[in-house]
Amino acid sequence: MPAARDPGDLLQGTLRILILKSLLLGPAHGYAISRWIEDTTGDVLRIEEGSLYPALRRLQDRGLVTSEWGQSENNRRARYYTITRTGRALLRTEASIWLAYSHAVTRVLRAEPSLA
Amino acid sequence: MSADRTLRWRRYLGFLRPNVPADVDDELAFHIQSRIERNLALGLTPDEARRDAIARFGDVAAVRSTLVRHDERQHATERRAEYIADFAQDLRFGWRALRRTPGFAIAAALTLALGIGANTAIFSVLNAVVLQPLPYAHPDRLVTLGQGSSGEYLALRERLRTVTDLAEWDPTTDPIDDGRDALRLTGVAVTPNLMPLLGAAPMLGRGFTPNDGVPGSNRVLVLSFGTWRREFGGARVLGRKVTLDGLPYTIVGVMPPSFRYPSTDVQYWRPYAIDPKNIGLMWGVGGKEFVGRLAPNATLQQSRREVRTVWPSLRTANPIWDPGPAYRRAASVTPLKSDLIGSSASLLWMLFGATFLVLLIACVNVANLLLARATARERELAVRAALGGGRGRLMRQLVTEGLLLSATGAMAGVGLALLTVHALVGAVPTGLPRANEIAVSGVALAFTLVVAIATGIVFSVVPAVRATSAAAWASGSMLGRRATASRSHMRVSGWLVGGEIALAVMLVVGSLLLVRSFSAIRSIAPGFDPTHVIAARISAPAAMYPSGSERLSSFYAEVLDRARAMPGIRNAALIDRLPLAAPVWGLAIRVQSQYEDVRHELPFAAHVQSVTPDYFAALRIPVLRGRAFTDDDRAGQPLVAIVSQSVAHRFWPSGGAIGRRIGYPFDSPWITIVGIVPDTKQDSLRDTSTTTIYMPWSQRTDKVGTELWLVGRTTSDPAAAGAAIRRIVHDIDRGVPVTDVRTMDDIVSGSVVGARFTTALVTVFALVALALGAVGIFGVMSYVVSERRQEMGLRIALGASAGGVVRLVVGRALRLAAVGTVAGVACAMIAVRPLDRWLYGISPVDPLTFAAVPIVFAAVAVLASYLPARRAAGANPAAAMRDAGQSADG
Repeated sequence: MPAARDPGDLLQGTLRILILKSLLLGPAHGYAISRWIEDTTGDVLRIEEGSLYPALRRLQDRGLVTSEWGQSENNRRARYYTITRTGRALLRTEASIWLAYSHAVTRVLRAEPSLA
Repeated sequence: MSADRTLRWRRYLGFLRPNVPADVDDELAFHIQSRIERNLALGLTPDEARRDAIARFGDVAAVRSTLVRHDERQHATERRAEYIADFAQDLRFGWRALRRTPGFAIAAALTLALGIGANTAIFSVLNAVVLQPLPYAHPDRLVTLGQGSSGEYLALRERLRTVTDLAEWDPTTDPIDDGRDALRLTGVAVTPNLMPLLGAAPMLGRGFTPNDGVPGSNRVLVLSFGTWRREFGGARVLGRKVTLDGLPYTIVGVMPPSFRYPSTDVQYWRPYAIDPKNIGLMWGVGGKEFVGRLAPNATLQQSRREVRTVWPSLRTANPIWDPGPAYRRAASVTPLKSDLIGSSASLLWMLFGATFLVLLIACVNVANLLLARATARERELAVRAALGGGRGRLMRQLVTEGLLLSATGAMAGVGLALLTVHALVGAVPTGLPRANEIAVSGVALAFTLVVAIATGIVFSVVPAVRATSAAAWASGSMLGRRATASRSHMRVSGWLVGGEIALAVMLVVGSLLLVRSFSAIRSIAPGFDPTHVIAARISAPAAMYPSGSERLSSFYAEVLDRARAMPGIRNAALIDRLPLAAPVWGLAIRVQSQYEDVRHELPFAAHVQSVTPDYFAALRIPVLRGRAFTDDDRAGQPLVAIVSQSVAHRFWPSGGAIGRRIGYPFDSPWITIVGIVPDTKQDSLRDTSTTTIYMPWSQRTDKVGTELWLVGRTTSDPAAAGAAIRRIVHDIDRGVPVTDVRTMDDIVSGSVVGARFTTALVTVFALVALALGAVGIFGVMSYVVSERRQEMGLRIALGASAGGVVRLVVGRALRLAAVGTVAGVACAMIAVRPLDRWLYGISPVDPLTFAAVPIVFAAVAVLASYLPARRAAGANPAAAMRDAGQSADG
């Protein structure tokens, strides 16, 4: 599994996980994905929305998502992305690594002596 | 669903051109617009809403260009992959479809193999002989100036500015003796600059140096590659001495295999010595060929203008005679290549045209087969169309099947060409120029590839268009479609067969014209009786038997005596240039009290022959007036001549030629005419120059070559007589080669073997065309009959006779043939014009030919439709009606 080696990588990896996770709810267009991330994180993880699209293309190239044109809620043409089976598998692995990682970091931070 | 409709509409747009930027813009605009709307809902002013949306998004332009670039690349890859996948699928599908109908597949592939193979073979020859440049340095700058004397050669070489270098050559054939059996080789005497001028160099040893051209210098020669290999076994030959025409020569070089100038049968080259002191020989003997190289900045036109000015000005330079005011007015400069390939170019283009017609006919035939098959496959195609194949997709499928067929045909065709091209070259009898360069080359294969793809598309597009439109029809309604589709199938099919017949008519007209012309040539009476005559060429070396020597006379007297003594030979005679076997030369003559002044232009006798007394008896040429030669007409006796009727008529139109006197074109004793014989063919059967003068050989031994032909009328097996002649000469002198031992019949038919070959080849093509046309008619009529079985059954049920039904079907075929024939005859009227130069005794629009062709095609139509007609007549009314009922249900 790719381990994050620099902040850029870390960010890419993060964005990937966020996108894939958002798509577990069902097909969504780019704006919906960015809204979901915004709402879920309470706007804490501020990502530049424009970077979402190149990331989606990369996911699509790797076969993690597919896309097709459809009609939005307000009847406009929008491109909908769907997570693939490979995407789900990858998300599961990456999520477990992330969770293990953040769990470890959390444990370190909680260890004695306390920060306060 | 409306989304689907948009989707499809989009895809169509994408089919025309990828609409990537618009899609990217749509996607990004949607995002920003949605954000703005949310911001407005949250209570921001429109301005703030927009600014916030853009700030959250980041660099819109950069993202847009990244996406556009990505998507375009993606799109291209997808289209390519899709295309290849489709193609592979079409190929698989096409292969399976062909496998399902092996009869059709084999028939079509064979037809195409025939068409493509013939084209590849003929194109290989055409390409090597006509299209490829000559294998010399800057071949497009090489020219010929025609023929002249060495005196003219030296003068032209000095004066011409538009020609940088000029070489002279003269064909010679000499007996060559390398110590084993005497041979007779074909060579050329060339000025030493010929090979450098052409940009050729020997493969072994050296070429000629200017010194080799000096009279009295060492005698050297250069061998051709073939002669070196065949006659000298490819051994070390440099420095070796051979005896050529009785004189010792040293072999100094061997030319590479590619060098065959001036013709493929040249076996050696020797330097030509021009002796400027021997004025008579230099200016008196013409017939030398001039070849030159254009100056770097000179055009062909400039050179022509210059030669046309300079050459006539040499009239005053001739120290021997005044050639007259018309001298060299028509001199011209010809590119070497067109001079070398001469009439072969138009011959090969004609053959190529013929094979192209065969290919077109093959295409039409296969198109027709495909059409019939497509109709049979209508249901399958309809299903595919209904499953969303789309018309373009379906057409591609059918064209791919066509390409698969033509590729199979092309592979078989190339095999056919590989097998036949050498047989073809071998069968071309009259020394096709550049024959050594002929091969199924890369260019020829590229040509085949293009032809295969083109034919594949040509013969599959019409059926594909037809089939897909029928399929589109069918997917709309399955009922009531059949009648319409099959009727229009028959219309298209009828057009195709009509066109096919028109093409075949053109070929058959061409071949009939050639056949008629050939039989006209063959029926030309040569003026002598060639049956039961044996001939042999005897080449006494000039060094051993010098011209005019007693030795020469007694050698040939001995040969003649022994030949006469042979059982089975009567009337043995000698002649220096045997008609139809060797070029017969002419001579300018004086005519007493008509043309006596040798300083002015003299009349020309086209042929001058030196013969022994029995020549006229041997060839059964009757003496019309006066007498034949006798043994008393020998050296030292009064000079005599026998002339052909044309000579007598030309100079003494009111008769009385006997006893008149003629002479050589220089001051010399007069020669008295003692007899008149009929005109005979000399150079070829088509020869129209009929003025011939015969003189006794014994009075001319100093003026002609030392090579003579022996002719004799045989009473027994000519082959045995030929062997006996060889033995006689060998017994007298084993250093004298005897060659070309043939019957006179053989020589006569050999002189037209080129015409025979062309005629035979075109006739084969025409027969193929005729057969394909018959197959076409048969196919269409079979289809018509099977489609209309109900109708036929009904007719019979209603009391029509079998004969009536046969007449109905055959009549239809005849109408089809009539339309095609009329169109073909009209096209042929125009297309045969260029054939004129190949025809003898008939016009290209020969009425008999044009009358015969419609009859031939009517017969073909009747024959080809009779079988289907019989089947129609035999249709069982009840069964036909039952079938009809079933097909209406289904």
